[in-house]
Amino acid sequence: MKDQIKIGQAGTLESSDVLVFVRFSPLQKGIKIELESPSEKCFGKIIIRKIEETLNLLGIKNIYIKAQDRGALDCTISARVETAVKRAQKSIGGKEE
Amino acid sequence: MDYQVIDIHNKSEREEIIKFLQTLNLKYENNIEYTLALLEDGKIVGTGSISGKVLKCIAVDARKQGEGIAAKIVSRLVQEQFKKGRTKNFLFTSPDKVNQFTGLGFQLLALAEPSYALLEMGIDGINQYLQDLQKYQLIENNQKIISAMVINANPFTLGHQYLVKTASMESDVVYLFVVREDKSLFPFETRFSLIKQGCKEFNNVKVMDGGDYIISNATFPTYFSRESENDIVTGQAALDARIFIRYIVPTLKINRRYLGNEPYCGTTSIYNKVLKEILPSAGVKVKEISRFEIEGKAVSASSVRELIKKSKFTEIQKLVPSSTYLFLISEEAKPIINKIIASDSRH
Repeated sequence: MKDQIKIGQAGTLESSDVLVFVRFSPLQKGIKIELESPSEKCFGKIIIRKIEETLNLLGIKNIYIKAQDRGALDCTISARVETAVKRAQKSIGGKEE
Repeated sequence: MDYQVIDIHNKSEREEIIKFLQTLNLKYENNIEYTLALLEDGKIVGTGSISGKVLKCIAVDARKQGEGIAAKIVSRLVQEQFKKGRTKNFLFTSPDKVNQFTGLGFQLLALAEPSYALLEMGIDGINQYLQDLQKYQLIENNQKIISAMVINANPFTLGHQYLVKTASMESDVVYLFVVREDKSLFPFETRFSLIKQGCKEFNNVKVMDGGDYIISNATFPTYFSRESENDIVTGQAALDARIFIRYIVPTLKINRRYLGNEPYCGTTSIYNKVLKEILPSAGVKVKEISRFEIEGKAVSASSVRELIKKSKFTEIQKLVPSSTYLFLISEEAKPIINKIIASDSRH
């Protein structure tokens, strides 16, 4: 069970960036996104839509994502999500190879 | 700006960090496993360290504040933690710096004025822990005595059993939290299982995982170090008490906490004193139970460990429940016993 969990991380907490954490686990059904952002009220929905769009392009249907936004642009958000997902897909048992 | 990983075993590199922290009235703490410095023109402008799941000693040159240096340092530390499979980070700082870190996405867990603040960031945080606790919530809880007790039980003795029995008889429910941090000679899984076996006869006692939020390396680091100054212990004990009050008490509707009176260990007696000062303000009555004595001597886990060192197993048999004794003489216990004989650790 533990071996089937895959995690990945990308990005930083620096201004205009976003720190993205992703986890694939057999228990995770569907897409669950948690977002923390200083501009959540204004842009929260847009950021989440951007993350969903990126996952869609990558063909991901079951995943947990936590995004800690520091005012990242759209292109940064999708780049960080894609990197975190690809890192997780390459990892085994929670640790990066 | 360049990042430099400090070789913490190299005295001159460590001295540089200590000197830098001193200029900001900060101390380089014990038990640090990783330290990073940020350099500009060869001079340190910021630093940060890791101790287990905890980020600490994060500091930025006073002239360089507001330039995003703390964000750079914390990001690197979080990446470093991730390499070790750590997906949740605590951050230990002083109350006046809380805003700086909540701005980076940390969540404030508790404050113990004037010295300490504990924040966390990442996944499976306090909310997840509370959700897990909620499964044990009583449905009908009017006017019941709902008690909590925290034990390390390194290993579980008749002294612990007496304490649990007393709490069990005087309460409707007892939540018995086991310290999760694996810094004791007996590993968590073993301590937990011996407690479960030793408390089997008490139907209203629920043995629980203390997680990261009750006496852990995050909430109470000096609990696990041998020598600490009393005021530091007092401050951290207060932090632990605040977390207990803010999260665990309301989730389980706890209204009483049992403590074992502590004749041997200075840290624990300070902890008890702090709990007695703070918990009543949150409606939690504190009951301190005198130690169970045999032949005029208080039964404690440390005396059992002493006897293990001297291989006096007949005497140990008098001090522990049969479940603990059977474990101690089993093949499974051999590696632990060898470790105890070789060590001079307080825990």
